[in-house]
Amino acid sequence: MANIAAQRIKREFKEVVKSEEVAKCAIKVELLNDNYTELKGEIAGPPDTPYEGGNFVLEIRVPETYPFNPPKVRFITKIWHPNISSVTGAICLDILKDQWAAAMTLRTVLLSLQALLSAAEPDDPQDAVVARQYKENLEMFQLTARHWTSMYAGGPNVNTDCDSKIKRLVDMGVDDHQALVALSSYNWDIERATEQLFS
Amino acid sequence: MEDTMTSSQGGESDMDCSDNEYYDEYYYTLNDDIDIEQIDPRKIDPEYFEFNCLFEEQVDRLLNETVETLSNMHQISPSLAKVLLHSHQWNIQEVTRKFKENPTQTLIASRIKPPSPPISLTFSRYINCPVCVTSQSFDKFYSLSCAHMFCKDCWTMHFEVQINQGISTSIACMARECKVLAPEDFVLKHLHRPNMREKYQQFSFQDYVKSHPELKFCPGPNCSIVVHSQEPKAKRTTCSQCKTIFCFRCGCDYHAPTECQVIKKWLTKCADDSETANYISAHTKDCPKCHICIEKNGGCNHMQCYNCKHDFCWMCLGDWKSHGSEYYECSRYRENPNIAHESVHAQAREALKKYLHYYERWENHSKSLKLEEQTLEKLRSRINQKVMSGLGTWIDWQYLFTAANLLAKCRYTLQYTYPYAYYMDGGSRKELFEYQQAQLEAEIENLSWKIERAETTDRGDLENQMDIAEKRRTTLLKDFLDV
Repeated sequence: MANIAAQRIKREFKEVVKSEEVAKCAIKVELLNDNYTELKGEIAGPPDTPYEGGNFVLEIRVPETYPFNPPKVRFITKIWHPNISSVTGAICLDILKDQWAAAMTLRTVLLSLQALLSAAEPDDPQDAVVARQYKENLEMFQLTARHWTSMYAGGPNVNTDCDSKIKRLVDMGVDDHQALVALSSYNWDIERATEQLFS
Repeated sequence: MEDTMTSSQGGESDMDCSDNEYYDEYYYTLNDDIDIEQIDPRKIDPEYFEFNCLFEEQVDRLLNETVETLSNMHQISPSLAKVLLHSHQWNIQEVTRKFKENPTQTLIASRIKPPSPPISLTFSRYINCPVCVTSQSFDKFYSLSCAHMFCKDCWTMHFEVQINQGISTSIACMARECKVLAPEDFVLKHLHRPNMREKYQQFSFQDYVKSHPELKFCPGPNCSIVVHSQEPKAKRTTCSQCKTIFCFRCGCDYHAPTECQVIKKWLTKCADDSETANYISAHTKDCPKCHICIEKNGGCNHMQCYNCKHDFCWMCLGDWKSHGSEYYECSRYRENPNIAHESVHAQAREALKKYLHYYERWENHSKSLKLEEQTLEKLRSRINQKVMSGLGTWIDWQYLFTAANLLAKCRYTLQYTYPYAYYMDGGSRKELFEYQQAQLEAEIENLSWKIERAETTDRGDLENQMDIAEKRRTTLLKDFLDV
């Protein structure tokens, strides 16, 4: 079985490297070991989304039963998205679960993840806090996602107001990621975030 | 199907093994004085239920008969007929109706055909399998009705991986976004290892039984019996092999008069609130008169203090004398009539009090059932002694076991009346229910008292008491069992 898995990954690796998406710097894969079981993926944040300009790193583990079972993928780069856990990077996407088909490839997975960044599915959430913000206050969600992109994925849009709020909390002795999470969860209301952090 | 073991289960005849064992099923009927043969048992016995206990081969035959009928009727392969039936809960009339209306749409909806006709690929002598990415000669390739071609080794691997994950009837094509299912013949054609074929058949058998409303697996441990009933209702089912008694609809412990959803709610509630209710599980209480500590070691709730001989009720600690009369109200919960005007705290307290009232009684009867099993053991050794010393024969004492079995059955129903009452809305119907429940409870305690002291009770008196208790039970079920 492992034989087919390695054979396939070898072939797919070439497919991605040669694809036109790579030429456009939209997706990328890198091998992490010689037996083709661990890979690093990268996708560019799609244009006209809060993730634009960011670069998101993915952990890809290839099971022995690949391609009959899907690869295990999660975000290494921290991201604010309804279908991706802001804590663990776990992804809720049907093709990575029961809708996987053996004929799919790493390229289709990466492209599907990129599509997920453009079109979230808040009714099938992985992160309930993010999904609620997305549904109740889309503008606030976009602002937050953009700021996460700038902090963790190298995005260009730094929001000075957000930054100063984080700094105020950091000055109180809070870790900057903790500060970001608390502020993001409470729609950047610094009082409520402080209350939550110190309660 | 002549060789089917049939065991129709009326209130009295749920086991058909009547011989020398002590657990002889209760023989006497409710209406001794009426000619039974002229009366529909459905009308006199609220728990009457017809079912067959089938072995796997018999179920296979039953399913295959339906498959064959459909297959002959529409000239489709038995394998496809199975997919169609499985997706329609084995309702052959429904499949036939839909098939006559629109055969193509029916095949698409059942995932036998793709929604749009397949595009035929170029036929060269060698093609590349998209899954294992190796180039192989064309004759090694197979596809489902969707024409997505994959090499035979990949199909085999695909099926093995799916089967190892417990998937059988819902294995789909390997192509992206293709929903077409692999029918049985196609799967079996690609499975070569005997244990894989066996696993596949075992899993699909389970799927078929689960999708068939008239079939239920016996929930007994390691029991492979499947129960078949043409009237799938929440009725008492007894497995002919392992003797497990369960509700046909939900497969849980039989729970009349309570409904399947209600008992589920109740059991979840009990599990959630177990800590709150834990304090009740103490086995001792103080005698309300002389305050000596008493451990309950029998099932009967009519207690007599061994110290001061005071008769009282274990449940409410009230004087037993008032329990014998029509004022028996220990089972009824009296709600505070002004509760709507009380504070939130008081309301929460009241809600807890109400729950505990019902929970205590539910739990107490469950314990009594277990204690009465021990009483039965004691009875057996006592009778043994009597027979050995020449006081009657085993046959003379049989009625005591019959009585103990009836007691268990009545108390079982009584236990399950408490969740029913807990979820009932107030009003005259609840009053009637609680009245009947109280009546049943009183007669059950009388019966239990008499069985525990069987030596001094004569047979006629006991049998009379049995008759009364069972009548109360059936009356309650007739009025309130709604399945």
